Amino acid sequence: MSSSKDILLPELIKDRGSLHPINHMKDSIMNLLVSFGFEVINGPEIETEEFNFDMLNIKKSHPARQMHDTFYVENKLNLLRTHTSPVQIRGMLEKTPPLAFISGGKVYRKDDDATHLPMFHQVEGIYVDENVNFAQLKDLIYKIIYSLFGEDVELRFRPSYFPFTEPSAEVDILSKEGKWLEILGCGLVNPIVLDNCNIDSDKYSGLAFGLGVERIAMLKHGVTDIREFYKSNLDFLSQFK
Amino acid sequence: MKIAYSHLVQHIEESPCIEQISESLFQLGHEHEIDDGIFDMEFTPNRGDCLSVNGLLRDLAVFYTVNLNQEIHNEKINDLLIDFENLSNDICPKISFLKLEIDKVPESYKGSLGNYFSDLSLNKNNFFTDISNYLSYETGQPTHCYDAKKINGKLVFQEIERAVDLETLLDKKITLIQKNAVFLLNNEVINLAGVVGGKSTSCSSDTKTAIVECAFFQPEAIIGKSIKYDIQSEASHKFERGVDPDCHDLVLRRFIKLVSEHANIKDMSITSYKYNDGPDYKMPVNIKKINQILGINISDSEYIGYLSKLGFDIKAGFIKVPSFRSDIKTQNDLSEEVARVIGYDNIARADISIPKNEKSNNKDIENKLRYFLLDNGFYEVINSPFVSSSSESSIKVDNPLDSNREYLRTNIINSLLDNLVFNERRQKDSIKLFEISDIYTSKNDEINKIRSLSIVASGRVGHNYEDFSKKISKKYLTKIFHEALPTENFDFQELTRDSLVTKIKNEIIGCEVDINNFTAEVLKYKEVTKSPNNFTQYLPISDLPYSKRDLSFSIKNQSQCKPLEQYILSFKDKLLKETFIFDYYSNEKKQEIKIGFRFIFQSQDSTITDNEVDDVMNIIISSALEYDSISIPGLS
Repeated sequence: MSSSKDILLPELIKDRGSLHPINHMKDSIMNLLVSFGFEVINGPEIETEEFNFDMLNIKKSHPARQMHDTFYVENKLNLLRTHTSPVQIRGMLEKTPPLAFISGGKVYRKDDDATHLPMFHQVEGIYVDENVNFAQLKDLIYKIIYSLFGEDVELRFRPSYFPFTEPSAEVDILSKEGKWLEILGCGLVNPIVLDNCNIDSDKYSGLAFGLGVERIAMLKHGVTDIREFYKSNLDFLSQFK
Repeated sequence: MKIAYSHLVQHIEESPCIEQISESLFQLGHEHEIDDGIFDMEFTPNRGDCLSVNGLLRDLAVFYTVNLNQEIHNEKINDLLIDFENLSNDICPKISFLKLEIDKVPESYKGSLGNYFSDLSLNKNNFFTDISNYLSYETGQPTHCYDAKKINGKLVFQEIERAVDLETLLDKKITLIQKNAVFLLNNEVINLAGVVGGKSTSCSSDTKTAIVECAFFQPEAIIGKSIKYDIQSEASHKFERGVDPDCHDLVLRRFIKLVSEHANIKDMSITSYKYNDGPDYKMPVNIKKINQILGINISDSEYIGYLSKLGFDIKAGFIKVPSFRSDIKTQNDLSEEVARVIGYDNIARADISIPKNEKSNNKDIENKLRYFLLDNGFYEVINSPFVSSSSESSIKVDNPLDSNREYLRTNIINSLLDNLVFNERRQKDSIKLFEISDIYTSKNDEINKIRSLSIVASGRVGHNYEDFSKKISKKYLTKIFHEALPTENFDFQELTRDSLVTKIKNEIIGCEVDINNFTAEVLKYKEVTKSPNNFTQYLPISDLPYSKRDLSFSIKNQSQCKPLEQYILSFKDKLLKETFIFDYYSNEKKQEIKIGFRFIFQSQDSTITDNEVDDVMNIIISSALEYDSISIPGLS
C-alpha cells in the first residue's frame, strides 16, 4: 500500500536509451523476412575475392573489383565485403535446396560524400527451390514493400543489371512529392551462381533481393543527410526512442 | 551519354513524341533524364551496345519501325599497305586501318554531322577527329585518327609493362605504369589503346591525310585505365563495356561516306586483321524454359517475334545472338529480353509461399543485452571501423580513403571515447553509450574475429531527482549491472582522459567484453524498454549552444504538487528543449515541499539570448505562481 508521502512524490522518470535507428531498421526488416519464412545466417565482413566476387559471377574486369571501389586488406589477400551476398554463397555451399536465407550487416565501398559512406548496411535474401520464377519474386517484393511502406504505396519494377541475378530488376516507390525513389535491387539467381554453389541449375532456380538499410531508414524517418546516422550525437539518437 | 531526341526520331517511321520514346526507354531498362530535347542516358554496365544512336534504335525497334537510312561507301576499296604488327592479339583480336586523303579541309559541316555538333552544343576539333567522334555517337564504335604524315615507321600494338611517358592529344602528360595496352611507333608509345591518343601523331586542323584505326579491345585490358590516369574518355567507356567486334567494315565505309559528303577524296585504302572469330553464341529456342523462368505463358511466335525485332537471328530451332550483344549467353539472359519487351510491371504476380523456418535467431543474447542497456539509459551507436593508429594486431587497408583511415580498429572503446568528447562539447552532462560490433585483428597471417560489446559512460547518472546529483562511477555501474545480471562479468574500469582534448574532469567508466563470454542467464532479464513500433519523424538538430535555467518552488499546500508538476513538465515552447525535475525535498516538520525544475533552451536558428529565455521563463513563473501556496524562494 502506498503512503501519502509516495503519492506526493513526483513521477520518477528514468532515462531510457535508444537503439541505433539503422540497427532498429535492419532488425525490423529482418524480423519481417523471418516472418515470411527466411532463416537468418551470418558471415564475416572480411572476405575473399572468391566469395565476394568470383562465386557471384562478378568477372575480374568488373569495375566493382577495382581498387577505387573496393577496400582491399593485407596486400590484397582479402577485402572488406562490398555486399552481404557472400554470406548467401556460404549458406548455399553448406545446405541443399529448398533454402531461404537472409543476412544483414555492414558492407564497405570506397565512397565518401554527402550521399554515400564507406560503411553502410544491407539486408539481402535468397530463396532457392524448384520452379521459383520472376512472377513469384514480384509477389515477394510487393509483400516486403507493402509491409514497410503500407499498401497505398505505388511501386514499379525497372530492368537492371547485377552479375549474380538474371533477369535483374530495381524497384522504386513513388514519394509523396511524386518522385520515384529506388528502394531495392532483386532478380532471379543467375544459374551460373547456383552452379558455382554446387546446386543443379537445371532442377532449381532462385530469387534474390537486397535492400540498403540507410536508404529505407532515411525515408522512414525523414533524415536527409546520411552522415547524421554516424555522428553519435545524443540529440539525434534520442529522437528514436 | 547524351542523345538528341531528333537524332532518334528521324529513323522511326511512327514519329513518336519524346514522352513516348521516354516511356519505351524506361520499359527497356534505360534510365534517363530529358533536358531540352536531349536524353541524358544512364545505361547499365552490361549494355555497352546501347551507347550510340544506332544502339538505342536497335532496342527501340521492338516497339517501332526503325529505318536507319545511313548511307555507306559501297565501292571496292584498295588494300592498304601498312607496316603493322600485333604482339598482343589476345587483347586486340580484330583491328582495321583506313587511309584517307582529301583535297581540302571543309570549313563547315552539313547533314547528320552538322546536326551532331549543333544539337548537342559540342565543340569541334579537327575534321577527321570530328567525324570519328560523330561515328562513335552514331554507331558506338570508337575510332582513332592519326595524321598519316606522322606515321613514318613500324606501328606495333602491344601490352607493355614498364613506366613510360605519354603526352596525350588533350595536352596532358601522363606516366604509364604497370600493364598497359599501347600502340608504339618506332618503339615510342603514341597511343594508350582504347583510352586516348598521343599528341605526337594526332590530327590537326591542317591534316589532309589520315589513318583511321578501328579496333576491338578486350574490356579487361581497358578497364580502369581512364580513372587510373584521370582521363575523360568516351572511347574507354565504350571499350570497357564491350563494342561490336564485327562492325569495322560498316563503320569505316560510313566514315568514308561522311568524309565524301564534305570533301573530295583523293585516295583511300583499307586493311583488316582478324586473329580469331570470337565467340558465336547459339541457343535452342526453348519457350517452356522462358515461361518457366518468368512465370508467364507466351507462345513460340510471340517469343520469336520479340527476339527477331531485337536483332536475334532464329533459324532451325536455334537463336543466334547478334555480335553486338556480348551480354547474352544463357536462357535467363533471353528471358530478360522477353521481360523487358513485355514490361516488368506487366508481368502478373504469382503467390509465393516460403516454407516456415523454425530456427531461432542466434543473436538472442546480444539483443537481450541491448535492451538491458537501453533500460539503463544507454544509447546505441555505430562507428566507422577505419582509424589512423595501429597496433601490432591491426589490419592495414591497402587502399584507404586517406591516411586517417588506414587501419581497422582493434577495439570499440576508443571510438566511444571520441563519441563521448563529441557530446561533452555539446554540453551533455549525462552520457551513456554502447556499441556492438565485429572486431578484426591479425596475428601470424590469420584473421581473428571477436564480436564485442563496448560500454562508456560519464557524468550524471540521469536526469531525474534521484539520479541528478549522483555521478557515474565504477562502483555505481558495477552495482546496477551486477544486480540485473548477477552471473555476468563486465569488468568496468576508469578510463583516462589523458589523450582526450577536453577540460571536463568527470570520471569515464568503460568496459569491452566478448559477447561470446555471456551466458544464457542473460536471457532471463526482463526488459522494460520496448522496440518502437513506429518510425519517428526526425527533427533537424541544432549545433547552437544551450542555455539552462533552474527554478525551485516551495509548496505549502501539498495537493498542489501534482498540478504544478504536470503543468511544468507539459509546458511546450519551440525554444524549450528539455524539462526535468532535478530536486525534490519534503520537509515534514514545516509541512513544505520543495521541487527543483531544470529548463534547457536551444534555438534552431541562432544563439539563444537571455531575453528570449527570460520571456519563456516569465510565462512559466507567472502561471506557476497562480497555484495555491506556491512560491519561488528568492524571487523578488
